[in-house]
Parts: sequence; structure tokens; C-alpha cells
Amino acid sequence: MEMIEKFGLEAHLFLFQVINFLIIIGLLTKFLYKPIKNMLDERKKKIDQSLLDADNAKIALESAGEERKKILDEAKKDADSLTDSIKVQMQETKEKFTEAAKLSSQAIIEEAKQKAAVEFESVSKQIGKMSIDISGKIISKVFSDLFSEDDKQKLLSLALSKVEKVEYEKIAN
Amino acid sequence: MQIAPDILFTVAGFPVTNTVVATIITDIILLITAFVIKKAVSLKPGTFQNLIEMVIDYFHGMTEETAGKKVSFIYPWVVTFFLFIAISNLVAQIPGFESIRFHTLTSGEEGVPLFRAATSDLNTTLAFAVISVVATNFLGIRHIGIKAYISKFISFKMFGIMLFVGLLEFANEFIKFLSFSFRLFGNIFAGERVLATMYGIFPLAALPFIALEFMVSIIQAIVFAMLTMAFMHIMSDKPH
Repeated sequence: MEMIEKFGLEAHLFLFQVINFLIIIGLLTKFLYKPIKNMLDERKKKIDQSLLDADNAKIALESAGEERKKILDEAKKDADSLTDSIKVQMQETKEKFTEAAKLSSQAIIEEAKQKAAVEFESVSKQIGKMSIDISGKIISKVFSDLFSEDDKQKLLSLALSKVEKVEYEKIAN
Repeated sequence: MQIAPDILFTVAGFPVTNTVVATIITDIILLITAFVIKKAVSLKPGTFQNLIEMVIDYFHGMTEETAGKKVSFIYPWVVTFFLFIAISNLVAQIPGFESIRFHTLTSGEEGVPLFRAATSDLNTTLAFAVISVVATNFLGIRHIGIKAYISKFISFKMFGIMLFVGLLEFANEFIKFLSFSFRLFGNIFAGERVLATMYGIFPLAALPFIALEFMVSIIQAIVFAMLTMAFMHIMSDKPH
């Protein structure tokens, strides 16, 4: 008893402390621990969700990167095949046009040759006629004084026929 | 300074001691904290909320690690013991806390201190010890059932050896009252005495002891809370 008195143990004080602590624990649980715990849980949930979103975004980004690479590879392949095909087409077109140009130029040359031949013949004929005319005129001038009118005519006819013959032979050759 | 707290006045037969006043101050601090936090709790915490969150989360995590699914029952006891004891001890470290005198009819000219650390009163520490042990045993009965609970103390397995072990377990429960209450009471009361003596010799000489007492205050709060947690976990485990 003396010991209890010395330490100041008193039933009222003891009960006061017990009841006080039980009230405090009840109030703190309701007004402090629960709101804090709920908030911590909510924050944890948000952080977890954010991390999950970040992981998903990372996966989506990686997938998009792979998709992009795939599309670029396919595009490159298409472009290469298109270039090859265009090259072949160009080569074919070039050859076609070259052939056509060759044929066309040959035709033009041929036509020009023919035209030149016709022109040459026509010019030769004109030259022949002119030379016959000139020869006739020279002969008639030369023989006008030496021969009678009849002889002149005979000689002229003979000479002309010879000239004509010679000229035709030249043309024919 | 006497071991028993000083009675300031009585209200309808209830003796209001300086430790009761300190207990009420501790209550007010805790309740203001709770209401402020409840009103201002947010996902982006301020410094104060961060500090409270840190304490609650630390003890919750620790209890969860130790006790697993029983955490929701155990951690409010653990955190409340820690907060109550820590604040009660720390408030008493404020210089001049015990210097404010109160004059009673029986006190002399000097009067008695108006405030005294709540945990330097054996009534408080014994109350905490009783609450801790009773809550521990209640949790044990709730989790393992009354039959398994009784078998922890009374068992005839192994030719009566377990009966002896059960008796030791039973004695252990009573020893807990003493160990819990006297450890806390002794540490805080002795600390106060040391500080009072040092203040008496040379006030500046008390500074290192204030720092030491600050540490003791926190350590004792942690020890009480952790022991409660450990005992609650052990008691709620089925006997082998």
C-alpha cells in the first residue's frame, strides 16, 4: 500500500487515462488514420495507374516504331521495284524510239534519193534540150553561108538526130 | 520532486494532477492535428501532412510486414501509442515546461509544477500497459478462437511440460504490465530528474541532456509501439 501511495497510483487517474486513451484512439482512427490511409491508397492507385499507362505508352511507342520501320521497308522495296520497272520500260521505249527513228530516217533518205533522181532526170532532160537548141543554133549559124537551103535542112536534120542520139545515150547511161 | 504527480485541485472527487493537465494538452495537440489533416488532406501533401503520412505509413508498413492481414486491427493501436507517448514526452522537453508553478492549498510558497510529462506518471504508463495487454489478448481470442487461446496457457501435451510452459506464458502476461509500465515511467521520470538537476547546477549544462532526452522520448515511444505490435502478432498466431 505504501508503495502504491509512493508511486501515486490512484484508481480515478488510472481509469481516466484508460478512457482518455480509448477515446483518443477512436477519434484518431476516424479522423486521422482513415483519411490518411484512404488518401495513401488512392495515391498508390494513381501511381500504379500512371506506371501502367507509361508502360503501355512505351509498348505502343515501340510497336509504332516497328510499324514505321516495316512501312518504310515496304515503301523502299516498292520504290526499288518501281524504279527497276521504270528502268526496263525506259530501255524498251528508248529502243523502240531508236528503231522508229532509224526506220524513219531511212525512209526520208530513200525518199530524198528518189526525189534527187527525179530532179536529176528532169534537169538532165532540160540540159539536153538546151544543148540541142544551142547546137542547132550554132550549126544553123555555121552552115547558113556554106550550104543551100535544102542542104542545110538535110545536114541540120542529120546533126540534130545525131546530137539527140548522143544526148539520149548520155542520159540513158 | 516526488514520484507521485502533484494534485492541483479536485473536481467532484476526481484529482486533477499536473500529469492530467499534460495529458489534456497532448489530447488537444493530437485532436487538432487530426481535424486539420482531415480538413486539408490532399493528394499533393504539404510539409505537415507529409510528416503525419510518413509516421502513419511507416507504422502501417511495418505492421503489415510483421502481422500481414491483421494489420487493420493492429496498426491503429501501434500508431496511437507512438503518437501519444512521443508527443507527451516531447512536450515535456520544452524548456520551462515544469517551471510554471501552481499554488494549491497544501503546497508551500514555491507551489507545484502546473505541467508534468504524462508518461512520468505511473497511472498513465500502467493504463497504457493494461490497454496494450488487454487489446493483445482480445486480438488473440478473435483470431485464433477461445479454445486455441486457452491452449496457449493450459496444455497437457508432452507429458505436462507444456503445462509448465503455459504457466510461464501466463506469468509473462502479467509481467508485461510491469515491463511496459515501469520501462516507460522509469525512463521519462529519470530523464526529468536528470534535467531538473542539471538546470539546478548550471542551466547551459542541461543542453546536451535535452538532446539526449529528446532521443529517449522518441525511442521509448517506438519501443512501446513496436512491443505492442510484436505481442499482438505473437498472440494472434496459433499455438504449435
